[in-house]
Amino acid sequence: MTVTAGWYLALAAVLFVVGASGLLLRRNALVMFMSVEIMLNAANLSFVAAGRQLGVLDGQAAVFFVMVVAAAEVVVGLAIIVTVFRRRATASVDDLAGLKG
Amino acid sequence: MNGSLTFLSVAPEIALAAAVVLLLLVEVTFKPRAWAWAVVAGAGLAAGTALSAWQWVAHRGADTGTFWNGMIAVDGFAALAGLLVFPLAGLGLMSAWRLAASQGRRGAEFIALVLLAAAGAHLMAAAADFIMLFIGLEVFSLSLYVLAGFTRERVDADEASLKYFLLGAFASAVFLYGVALVFAATGSTTFYGDGGIADYLAGTVIFRPGVLLAGLALLLVGLAFKVSAAPFHVWAPDVYQGAPGGVTGFLAAAAKVAGFAALARVLTAVLGARADDWVPAVAVLAAASVVVGTLLAIVQDDVKRLLAYSSVAHAGFILTALVAGRGGVGDMWFYLATYAVQVLGAFTVAAAVSGDRAGRSPLAHWAGLGRRAPWLAAAMTLMLLAMAGIPLTAGFAGKVAVFRAAIDAGYLWLVIVAVLATVAGLFFYLRVIVAMYLASPEEGASLPASPAVGWGARFVLAVAAAATLVFGIAPWPLLEVLRDALPL
Repeated sequence: MTVTAGWYLALAAVLFVVGASGLLLRRNALVMFMSVEIMLNAANLSFVAAGRQLGVLDGQAAVFFVMVVAAAEVVVGLAIIVTVFRRRATASVDDLAGLKG
Repeated sequence: MNGSLTFLSVAPEIALAAAVVLLLLVEVTFKPRAWAWAVVAGAGLAAGTALSAWQWVAHRGADTGTFWNGMIAVDGFAALAGLLVFPLAGLGLMSAWRLAASQGRRGAEFIALVLLAAAGAHLMAAAADFIMLFIGLEVFSLSLYVLAGFTRERVDADEASLKYFLLGAFASAVFLYGVALVFAATGSTTFYGDGGIADYLAGTVIFRPGVLLAGLALLLVGLAFKVSAAPFHVWAPDVYQGAPGGVTGFLAAAAKVAGFAALARVLTAVLGARADDWVPAVAVLAAASVVVGTLLAIVQDDVKRLLAYSSVAHAGFILTALVAGRGGVGDMWFYLATYAVQVLGAFTVAAAVSGDRAGRSPLAHWAGLGRRAPWLAAAMTLMLLAMAGIPLTAGFAGKVAVFRAAIDAGYLWLVIVAVLATVAGLFFYLRVIVAMYLASPEEGASLPASPAVGWGARFVLAVAAAATLVFGIAPWPLLEVLRDALPL
C-alpha cells in the first residue's frame, strides 16, 4: 500500500480535531495554548501535503509564513500566561472567573 | 499590473512600520518627553492617511490591481480602509493619551502597539491572498492581545488579555486550517487573477467540493469570530470589560473595521460567484448576532459589558448589509465608519467616568452624571441614541441603508428580525440615559473621583458628535461616494 497525499491530509484532519478538542476540554492555559499549536501544525501539514500533491511550491512557502507567525504568537502568548501565573500562582482558566455576566 | 513590483502598494504599511521603529529607537536613545511620542505617531498616521488618500484618488472606481505576485490589492476598497483605520487609530490614541502618558516609559510601547494594530488592520483590508490576510490578521490581533492587558497592575486586565489571546489564537488556527483546506481543493491561496480562487470558483467543474466547502466554512468562522458575530462572540464581553478603559474604544472600533473589511472582500470578491451558497449562512449569522446581542445586553449592569453585547448586535446589522453581496458593500462601509466613531466616543466617555485604567464601569458610576458632568452626559446620550438608531443620527441613516440593501436582496425576514431587535435595543440604551439624568448617586456609594477628561478625549468626543450629527442629517453624499467607489 502506497502512502498518498490523501493520507497526510487525513492525518492533518485528525491533528486538527485533537488540537481543537484539547483547547475546548483542557483547563490549563499552557496545555490549551499547546493545543492551538497542534492546530496550526495541522494546517501546515495540509499545506505541504496538498502542495506536493498538486505539484506547486505555494504550500511550502505558506508554511514558512505560518511558522514565523506562530513563533511571534508564542512570544506574546507565553508572556501573557506568565503574567497571569505570577499573580495567581495558577495557570488554570477555571480560576479566571472575575469577569462574567 | 499583475505581478509587477511596486512599493507604493504597501506604502501605508511601510509608513506605519517606519514610525514604530523610529518611535522605539527615539525612546531608547533619547528618553524624550511624551510629546515626542505624539509627534512621531502623528507623523506616521498622517503619512498613512495621506498615502491612502492618494490611492483613493488614483484607484477608486477602477478595477482591482494586484501587486507582489497577487499578494496585495490596490483599489478603492483598500484605500477607503486606510482612510478609516488610520484616523481612527489617531483618535484612539488621543482618547487613550492619559493612559499612555501615565505608563511611564512603557507609554511608547503602547503607542507602537496601536500603530502596529492599525498597519495590520489595513493589511487585512488590502490583502489579495489568504496568507497575506493571515499575516495582517495576526499583526493586528497580537497587538490587541497585549493592549488588552496593558495595565499589568490590574487583575481584570490580565484575565481579559489571556481570554482574548486563547480564543483569538483558536480562531486564527481555525481560519488557517480553512485556508489550508481551500488550498488543497483549489491549489491556490490567491484571490484574483488566472488560477486564483475566484477564477476557480467561477468555473463549472469543482474537484473535491467537500474539502472546499469545509475550508470555506472554517475560514468564515475564523473571521466571524474576529468581528464578534454570534455564536462566536463569547470573548467580546469579557475582553471589553476587562481591558483598560482607554484601550477598549480603539479595540472595539478597529476590530470591527478590520474584520468586516476582510470579510467583505472574501465574501464578495472571492466567493462572489457562489453567492447562493454563502448568503443564507450569513443571513443566519446576522439574525443570531442581532438577537443574541440585544437580549444579553438587556440584562447587563455594567456599561462596558452592555456596550460589548451591543457591539455583537451591531455586528449583526453590518452582516445584514452583506447578504446583498456586492451591492451592500457601500452600505456596510457607511454603517461601519459611523459605528466605529460612535463606539470609540462611547468608550471614551466610559473611560472618563470610571477611570481610564479601570476595567469595570457599573451602572452606579453613571448615576447623576447629567448633573456632575453635563457635557460628558450629553456626548454619551448622543452616542447611545445613534447606536439605538434614532432619526437624525448617523446610526439611523446606517440602519436604513443596510435594511434597504437586505430588502433589495430579498431578505425581508432578516430585516423584520433586525427591526424588532432595534426596538428592543432602545430599552438598554435608554436605561443608561435614564441613569445619567434621572437617577441620583446612592447614599455613601463610592463614586470614582469627578470625571477627568483630557484635551485628547474632548477632541475625540467633538469629532464623534460632529460626525454622528452631520452624517445623520445629510448621509446621502457619503453614501453615494461609498457605493460608487467599490467594485471589488
